[in-house]
Amino acid sequence: MKRKEAIETIMTTINPKDMVVSTTGLISREIFEKFDSNRNIYVPGSMGLASSIGLGLAVSCPKKRVVVIDGDASLLMNLGSIVTIGNKQPENLLHIVIDNNAYGSCSEEKSMSNSAHLDKLAIGVGYRYVQTISSQEDLRCAILMFSKGPGFILVKIKLGGRRDFRRPLKLTEIKDRFMLSLHQL
Amino acid sequence: MYADNKTVFNMLNGERNEKADQMHQLFLELGVNFASGVPCGVLKYIIKNLDGDARILHVPANRESEAIGLAVGAYLAGKTPVIYMQNSGLFAASNDIASLLVPYEIPIFFTVSYRGCEGEDAIQHLITGRATEALLKSFGLPFVVFKEHNLNTLIGSMFEKMRKIKLPTFLLLKRGWQR
Repeated sequence: MKRKEAIETIMTTINPKDMVVSTTGLISREIFEKFDSNRNIYVPGSMGLASSIGLGLAVSCPKKRVVVIDGDASLLMNLGSIVTIGNKQPENLLHIVIDNNAYGSCSEEKSMSNSAHLDKLAIGVGYRYVQTISSQEDLRCAILMFSKGPGFILVKIKLGGRRDFRRPLKLTEIKDRFMLSLHQL
Repeated sequence: MYADNKTVFNMLNGERNEKADQMHQLFLELGVNFASGVPCGVLKYIIKNLDGDARILHVPANRESEAIGLAVGAYLAGKTPVIYMQNSGLFAASNDIASLLVPYEIPIFFTVSYRGCEGEDAIQHLITGRATEALLKSFGLPFVVFKEHNLNTLIGSMFEKMRKIKLPTFLLLKRGWQR
């Protein structure tokens, strides 16, 4: 499985009413190009903050489900965030980490996820549902089986894939439609 | 936790601070209902009030960048967040201010302790102290260094301007600001 298949599986398996926060770089750009929706928030700068934004949303809207689509290097850049998530115990937060063990949006320089045991860290800080998967079918099952968070799905993928996606640029429009859709969902 | 809006708040070690209580009351009147940040001793009464008020959802952060992410999530959900931090944290989180709050036009009120000013006894604050106002100016973001202002007028007008221009706004508080 590469990034393309991971993103396709996530975006076609989650609930249409879920709010989605996606991390910096190719993950957001691929989601923006193929699965853009009012319920999506992209984090084009401020790498690492997708999970913090997701937590802020989840605790503020406890009746709605929030799906964070993170990367291994972005999570490592703001690792304290999982401690806060474990501390706050948001039942409505599903944190999916697409792990290619690299800064895939740069030049695929190695990250340190291979020695970090991110899934064990997630258990240690208090996530209630933790799965590590490496196939599309297992990813689909792991998302469908999620019921009570905080949830953490570590998705092991291979490097490579398309890089020429357009960038989300009209951020204020993306914000406005997201905030509007939140009231309608 | 408190019976009504008229209640005064601060009870840190039995101490109360009038200005911090006044600021808290103003926050409530302006609709503040979410707070995040990283503590600083200069802000202790403000933080105690935010933490002790059930009307405010307080999610402390491990690092200033994280506080900005949390506040953005709360804002997107329709809440009115405030962030507290030391000015050292402004530098740690400066990219998040510039690349998240500004391009998304997210107005968040920052209460920032201003270390490294005249009389500073800790050498590690001197460079950031000297650069704090320059940083905010270079980002084109509004800030006020609290002096002898009337808090009611000041915070009211800062919120009003912030909501109009949709940019983060900073109140800088030097040591002893609450006296």
